[in-house]
Amino acid sequence: MATRFDDETLMAFADGELDEATAAAVEEAIGDDDTLMARVEMFMETRARARAELKPTSEEPVPAALEAAVREMVESSRKASVAAADSPTGRVLPIDAARRKRGLLQAGTWQLPLAASLATAIAAGVIGYQLGSGNGPFAPRLVNASRTDIEEALRTLESGQERRLPGDGRIRIVASFRDNNETLCREYEVDPVSGNSLVAVSCREGDSWETRFAVAAPAGAEGYAPASSMDALEAYLSAIEAGPPLSEEEEAEALAGVR
Amino acid sequence: MMAAEHDVGHRLIALLPNMRRFALSLARKPDLADDLVQQACERALAHAASFQPGTRFDAWMFRIIRNLWIDRVRRDRTAGPREDIEERRDLVGDDGERTMEARLTLASVSEAMELLPEDQRELVVLVCVEDLSYREAAEVLGVPIGTIMSRLARARKKLAELTGITAGSARFPAAKE
Repeated sequence: MATRFDDETLMAFADGELDEATAAAVEEAIGDDDTLMARVEMFMETRARARAELKPTSEEPVPAALEAAVREMVESSRKASVAAADSPTGRVLPIDAARRKRGLLQAGTWQLPLAASLATAIAAGVIGYQLGSGNGPFAPRLVNASRTDIEEALRTLESGQERRLPGDGRIRIVASFRDNNETLCREYEVDPVSGNSLVAVSCREGDSWETRFAVAAPAGAEGYAPASSMDALEAYLSAIEAGPPLSEEEEAEALAGVR
Repeated sequence: MMAAEHDVGHRLIALLPNMRRFALSLARKPDLADDLVQQACERALAHAASFQPGTRFDAWMFRIIRNLWIDRVRRDRTAGPREDIEERRDLVGDDGERTMEARLTLASVSEAMELLPEDQRELVVLVCVEDLSYREAAEVLGVPIGTIMSRLARARKKLAELTGITAGSARFPAAKE
């Protein structure tokens, strides 16, 4: 009888993590099986004891130095955000500054309230459009680089890194993130030799990358796309419920999986 | 945005004891754990807006702490070959002699925890102490839910063994009813 349920199932029963049907089956079985009952109790008991002994208590207070340091941190971050809000450009600056400084799109800006219709329109207009395929309505003029070169860059470059493309343009990876389906996506910019830069998002699809979003943007002073084309990007990211940018280590791990 | 940061600040301070407990389960040295918590708070404030409202704030913080810890462990080992964190059992030791001793004296849970590998220790804290669901723990640790379950079951059987909770705990004096 006892072999009908493995440890994981009995533990999940003890933790209240089983679906109703399985839970009912376990409940019925332990009714007339003391061994099974004892195994379930063991899991209940370990949890109860761990909780009783390890739950942080007042007997083990947080060191004053740590608490003071964190309080000070919270306070200064509060002041900084008040200062930013007071400045007329405060709402725009963080995105731009973050992109310039760290090559990362600040995650918080993805949740800015945006007109849903705009987001949908952009998303509908670009899905399926393959960057560099040569068949898109404006792809050939924008980017001479082959799809292979861009895919190679998406697969190998870390966020913040830049590479010269064989067609003489440049590609710069801005950030990696996951969409609402947990698909790995990368935001990047492509500078052609002349003319408009391209801000794009490509996501991993099977063995290759699919361009999910692309918008032409006149190159800014430092070669970075200006804030206006970022609105469209943000609308898109918000529409696909893009997660926060992956940390360096998360990105390295994700890229290791596609190499 | 501002409200979010404000909120994060408050929540950070309230969560300090829990964060410290979790950090201790990883770093095991109090000064190192405090350092880790402080660094995590700094990161959380800088990325306050990326916290998804409606999700568990504590799980978010545990994830940050853990990422920082892995980062640190990796950096400390730059000279050596890369190993998977999963394979680092040796560092936290299944020391036969200590296990033996613990068995004889019936260790407290805290003592028994010291004998568990790091990946089991952190999981016990997340699920049994901090009440994260298996799914939430899987997200914090970045492993599949099946791995969470087998690892946690193993950890708890070991804890039971070390602390004298037998499979027949109904007859064990410490067990209720």
